[in-house]
Amino acid sequence: MIPILGLAAGVLLGLFLDPTVPLVLQPYLPIAVVAALDAVFGGFRARLDGIFDAKVFVISFVSNVVVAALIVFLGDQLGVGAQLSTAVVVVLGIRIFGNAAAIRRHVFRA
Amino acid sequence: MTATPRAGTPRSLGASLLDAVLAETLDPAYGQAAAARAAGRSPDRPRWRGRALVALTMVIAGLLVSVTYDRAAAGAKGREQVRDALISDIDKESAVSDDLQNQLQSLSRQVTRTRDELLAHSTVGKRALDALSSAEQASAAVRVTGPGLLITLANADPKADADPVGDTAEDNPQGQVRDGDLQVVVNALWAAGAEAISINGQRLGPLTAIRFAGEAVLVDFRPVNNPYEISAIGDPETLGAKFFASRDVVVLAGVSKAFGLRFDYARKDRLTLPAASIPELRHAVPETAVPEAPAGETSSSDPTPGG
Repeated sequence: MIPILGLAAGVLLGLFLDPTVPLVLQPYLPIAVVAALDAVFGGFRARLDGIFDAKVFVISFVSNVVVAALIVFLGDQLGVGAQLSTAVVVVLGIRIFGNAAAIRRHVFRA
Repeated sequence: MTATPRAGTPRSLGASLLDAVLAETLDPAYGQAAAARAAGRSPDRPRWRGRALVALTMVIAGLLVSVTYDRAAAGAKGREQVRDALISDIDKESAVSDDLQNQLQSLSRQVTRTRDELLAHSTVGKRALDALSSAEQASAAVRVTGPGLLITLANADPKADADPVGDTAEDNPQGQVRDGDLQVVVNALWAAGAEAISINGQRLGPLTAIRFAGEAVLVDFRPVNNPYEISAIGDPETLGAKFFASRDVVVLAGVSKAFGLRFDYARKDRLTLPAASIPELRHAVPETAVPEAPAGETSSSDPTPGG
């Protein structure tokens, strides 16, 4: 319950405070969101599996976000930013789908 | 790549990478942490700290989502606003330009009328008026009506089996009318004795250029579109005979046939050609200076005749 409340609080905070993001970081926001979603879905599935661990969740979240942004940054520097973002989105998207399917199996037993 | 790998044989790198991505959707660290906990090797951390960390992480996740959404929405809205502003700017400026054009036309009509009235009073003035009117005819400054030829040049029709979406006539540069083709026709018409020529309603004056810019043909720096209708005023019989006797026109007709361009002509009893764009005033003498000074010395530094 607390994590869901936290998520809602974060969404509301972001909508109402409207924090300014430095211009250099803005291109990496979408990819960071996808990475964050992956970590959140992974954590939720682990919790349903009964093997949730706060430390693993926090570390996977932070590293996912940072690494995804870094990969895209590196790609931008090398001139393959668009292709690398596609690669990151594909891989993370597959993981999100897999985890969502596992969550569905837990919730609906199907 | 083998369709069904036998058990035990190592799979190719690409396949195993895909396997890893597809199979290990859950971070293996969760499993390891759970195993460590089960074995009792993990240090006992207070539960509230973990919960607080998870909640904080979720807050950050929510923040990221909403901020990104906000940025995307603001970006779309900003683009829309800029687009609207630009469109309204364009509308406003073209209205101003139309207005100025109308003003210019009415003022120049007024000037012409006043000039004609003034000149009609004296014999010298009448002679000047006659000279002026023939000069105006030659410099395409007035509308003319008369019999003549209407020549139509058009791009090749798209092929019947061409894809109507992707494969347009623009993709086939050989089937396109170029500025040079129009120049050939116009030059041949002048040579055949045409008195006035217009292309798609753009009158050709002595200084009018026919040029190519990108994909568009510009006449007097204004774009004209396919099909190109070239109207020429003159005696249709002699004009047509001389025009088709021109070697350039024969060559162009052959080229048009080879590349599928349309090249038609028709004799017209009555063609009306508009005036060319109003020429710039390049040479003027103040009225009071005329009696004293000879004409040669009062002329402006620009020696080119008015166009």
